[in-house]
Amino acid sequence: MKQKINKIINDLAAPDVSFADVRITITDYESIFFMNANLRDYSSSKGSVAIGIRVLIDGCFGFAGSKDLSEASIKRLIAKARANAIHGAKFQKEKLTFPALPAITGEYEHKPEIDPFAMPKAEKLEFLHKLATSIKPTGKIVYSYIATEFERQEKYYANSEGSYNHMIVTNTLPMMMVVASDGKQTQSRTWPGHMSAGRAGFELFYQQKFEENAELIIKEATDLLTADVITEEKADIIIGAGHLALQLHESVGHATEADRIFGQEISYAGKTFVKPSMLGTFKYGSDILNIYSDSTDPKGMGYSPMDDEGVPGRRVDIIKNGILMDQQTSRHIAHKLGLEPSSNMKASFADDFPLVRMTNLCIAPGKGSLADLIASTESGYFLDFTKTWSIDDNRNNFQFTTEIGYKIRDGRIVGIVKEPTYFGITPEFWNACDAICGEEEWAYHSTFHCGKGEPGQVMRLSHGVAPARFKDINVSVKM
Amino acid sequence: MNEQLHYLKSALQKHSELKYVLTSREWQTDFLRFYQSQTNYNISKDSSSLDAILYKGKKSCSFTIDHPDKGKIDEALQTALDMIDIMPEDPDFVDVEDDLTLAAPRKIVNNIEALGLDEKTRILGELAKRAAKYDFELYGTFICNYQSWQLLNSNGLDKTSTQSPIYLEVKAVHKDSQVTVLETFGGDDFKYFDEAAFGKSLLTKVALAQNPVVDVAPGEYEVILAPRCVAEFAQYLSYGMRAGSVDSHNSFFEGKLNEQLFPASFSLTDDPTDPQMIRMDYGDQGHIYRPLKLIEDGYFRAFMCGQYYHHKLGLPKNGNTGECLKVNAGNAKLEDMIKSVKKGLYISSLHYMNFINARETSLTGLTRDGTFLIEDGKISKVVNNLRFTERISRIFENVIEFEDSAHTIPFSDNYGEFSVNSSRAPHARIKDFNISSSTRTI
Repeated sequence: MKQKINKIINDLAAPDVSFADVRITITDYESIFFMNANLRDYSSSKGSVAIGIRVLIDGCFGFAGSKDLSEASIKRLIAKARANAIHGAKFQKEKLTFPALPAITGEYEHKPEIDPFAMPKAEKLEFLHKLATSIKPTGKIVYSYIATEFERQEKYYANSEGSYNHMIVTNTLPMMMVVASDGKQTQSRTWPGHMSAGRAGFELFYQQKFEENAELIIKEATDLLTADVITEEKADIIIGAGHLALQLHESVGHATEADRIFGQEISYAGKTFVKPSMLGTFKYGSDILNIYSDSTDPKGMGYSPMDDEGVPGRRVDIIKNGILMDQQTSRHIAHKLGLEPSSNMKASFADDFPLVRMTNLCIAPGKGSLADLIASTESGYFLDFTKTWSIDDNRNNFQFTTEIGYKIRDGRIVGIVKEPTYFGITPEFWNACDAICGEEEWAYHSTFHCGKGEPGQVMRLSHGVAPARFKDINVSVKM
Repeated sequence: MNEQLHYLKSALQKHSELKYVLTSREWQTDFLRFYQSQTNYNISKDSSSLDAILYKGKKSCSFTIDHPDKGKIDEALQTALDMIDIMPEDPDFVDVEDDLTLAAPRKIVNNIEALGLDEKTRILGELAKRAAKYDFELYGTFICNYQSWQLLNSNGLDKTSTQSPIYLEVKAVHKDSQVTVLETFGGDDFKYFDEAAFGKSLLTKVALAQNPVVDVAPGEYEVILAPRCVAEFAQYLSYGMRAGSVDSHNSFFEGKLNEQLFPASFSLTDDPTDPQMIRMDYGDQGHIYRPLKLIEDGYFRAFMCGQYYHHKLGLPKNGNTGECLKVNAGNAKLEDMIKSVKKGLYISSLHYMNFINARETSLTGLTRDGTFLIEDGKISKVVNNLRFTERISRIFENVIEFEDSAHTIPFSDNYGEFSVNSSRAPHARIKDFNISSSTRTI
């Protein structure tokens, strides 16, 4: 495959081509879905090949992608990518440029502890069936599911600067959910929440203690049917790591994707309130807030020796001591902003166009355990397990509902509330952060489903976070 | 491609104990994305795949093969045959689709070929020149897809369908204020695209966007919802009309069949036959896709239900999927609707909606691409984007009147293989719409 991809790069060489890159991905995929303890769906695909060719001609990118890797197809794709660039350049005011980078080489293979594609299928199905049976509807529980996705992707990348990358990774997304009903209302609980994926194999089910938590979510979903709602206007809230990962994702991650500054995502994903003039001065969060983008950590799903336009993996401080310092960039956008490219250009599959994407976007840990943080909270709520998320076009106004809230009084959890909902304005919210838990609570929380771009792509990415506390947050939404 | 499909079918006919559903798909897109009145990127993509679902009694196993060949088919089939016996059962499975009704043939134009990149950039270039006079730049997408599928199953079903949807979305954004307005075209027949009318409508909105920008306080407002918003709320409402929602106890409509839930002016139909929309021949699992009245004069009339839930829940089977929703037009002129609002809002488009509790139809979301203040019957100012937290059922309960004509609104599905569908809806005047906070930004 290395020879093939290098040959395509050679075939793309032409006087009018100022940059070109080629990606090939080979993907195995398996999904299993148990509904009410019955196997509702088992599906798989093996060795799914995709190729994408991108060329920069006359300051305009043209792209062609396909799942057909034949010689005839490659010839057609080269011609199509060239034509797309040449025609696109006719409707262009500013030619796209960026400085050259030295050639680099990357090679990486991630090996899961339990390879979900190699393990005996009967063993895998038996485990999941048993788990599904443990949450089978009974009593107030009226619906339940176990959903899991396994993916192994091998990727080849080469560009006209001589850079080459080859990597193989395995990712797993496990999830379970129960729905309780009293005939009038329904309440749900998931485990381990919506950021449940990881760079791992089947071991993730054991690491995330699915079997141990089946009874807990049944009890909590049932108890939520008779739980109160939050009645205060404002409250101090501690956000659990799983949900905080999404808060970070929506209100910092997407807001600091620099393609949004220039409106490249207006037509679908949206803009950002961030302006280039804010870099180095804007107080995005409190002094204890440090957020970085790190594609050099192989424990997260955003790891890569280089991104999908040949920028070596980097750790970049996005927010340092509360100040906005940098952005997630492409080579073109970084050049426009006078920044070093941050190694954030990624495409989900080879036949997708690379976009500015989060990789491993993390909040640096603070100090202390979650138990310490709760104990130090006089009055408030501990919120976790995302139920609803929504944020505006500029990533400024967000509103989240979690499945459950744990009421804290005098440093102790004294009860639960249902559908706790909070909202705020991004910089005000992050400036209200007064405590972040330490290393012992810090972990990656990951997703398979970050949507962006058109045609749409869903990216696999991770957030390293520990629980954190936010003071005086709006928790009353009138409806 | 059909050769591969029939190869797999032949292989499966040696296994009389199996039922099966086989689908071959071909898909192409030509996708122009633009920003700041210039090309962002041009994408051409194509794919072909073969999906198979095998059933042995109540056990099932499915696989997908991209760019299939006989070698890949043999391997995938053998793996599935080896696995199916170890699969746990789904006792609710009874049979694969048995509706063999064929749709009337339609002539499908391949819009990727009919509408070339030069024509797309010419149209955009003309619009960009006109918007530039007001210091607005254009952002958006101009897409043509061409997709076809053939579906076979062990009940003798053999159907093919082709679509070639067009999707044009143009956002005009002011260079300084970032005030944004939106115009769209969608359909499968470009003859319905009126370039002059499209430009005129966009420029009318651009003119309104020259007004000063203000904020409004949270509270309940009388609002005029643009057709895009009405269509999107109807889509979200229709989730509860799916049989799967009933099964998962998430349906607002469970137990409410034939009850009047909304004003008599509200009727909603799932209609795949309207030539001004993106038409569809078949629905779930290849069932013929026909118009289905979901809400009739305010009464809830039907769940959308395919083969599986028909057997499981005992609901009538129709195969409808809610991808062609139409809200009936009413009697009011848009100008009169606006004139009748003393103080309220005109909302052009919605953003990032998500259910808080699907069974209660409670959700939150935001306004986008042009929110305007109406004062004394006139659009007077631009308003920052706003957050609403509402129950969709309440929104339609609070309809005062609908506009006297409906408009086609295209929507793109970005979470699967990129697809485009459309809805039709009129403007609606709604009372007591709950704005829960301001975004403080445009």
